[in-house]
Amino acid sequence: MAFPTLKPTARAYDSGDYPVKTFKAQSGAESRILYGSRRTNMSLDLSFDNITDAQAELFLDHYDETKGTYQTFTIPSAVFDGWEGNSDALDAATGNSWRYSGPPALTSVRPGVSSVKVKLLGVL
Amino acid sequence: MARIYTGRDGRLLLGSDTLVKVTAWTLQADLETLECTTLGDSQRNYVPGVQGFSGSATLLYYLDNDNTNDASTLIRKLVRTSAVEATDTVTLTLRLTDGTINNDVKLTAYITSASIGASVGEVVSAQISFQGTGALTTASL
Repeated sequence: MAFPTLKPTARAYDSGDYPVKTFKAQSGAESRILYGSRRTNMSLDLSFDNITDAQAELFLDHYDETKGTYQTFTIPSAVFDGWEGNSDALDAATGNSWRYSGPPALTSVRPGVSSVKVKLLGVL
Repeated sequence: MARIYTGRDGRLLLGSDTLVKVTAWTLQADLETLECTTLGDSQRNYVPGVQGFSGSATLLYYLDNDNTNDASTLIRKLVRTSAVEATDTVTLTLRLTDGTINNDVKLTAYITSASIGASVGEVVSAQISFQGTGALTTASL
């Protein structure tokens, strides 16, 4: 089962960083060592407000299918709808995939209508 | 046949009793809308939320021949020494009638405000507001 193909009502993206270790001497001089060539640890917070319960259930099912935060997956282009730059700028960097950083948060709004918030993490 | 309704055609019923000396009533129906506009949309989209019904009425403080006072009956739902309980609802029917056909809205409601005053040279009247609870029982307005 793939990540649900739904357009979010709100999206927040964080670019993550390259694996860098920083050492600071007592003099204040800083040394940085780059441990990899791939940026990682991107975060993507998605809100799907006032969707049907059936649509909300897709996120719960997908979370269960990926064994929670264990397995990685790709996300459909619909998630980046409304972004007019290149979609790869918001997607996980090359070689990365997404995984859940926590369980989807579901709020029941009224009978048949729910809102879901999903937090994803880009990992190698 | 075309027909214009006027205040003469209005009635307000408490239970099955038509309240006398009602000078006005209003009904307000509301629908909460839930926004479901997604990223990429240029226009806002909504899905229906919950409905609500409320209204008000003005009654003369009038003692009928049978010693009943309709305004008092409603006012006492709120102006009282004991607390208002969940069972203190009233069944109101707001009606426009042409004599044979009744156009009704019937609802269960709580009296949410009641005001009454006396002024020199004026008839005493009471204004009440009500808040519907649950679905309409009849809606043929």
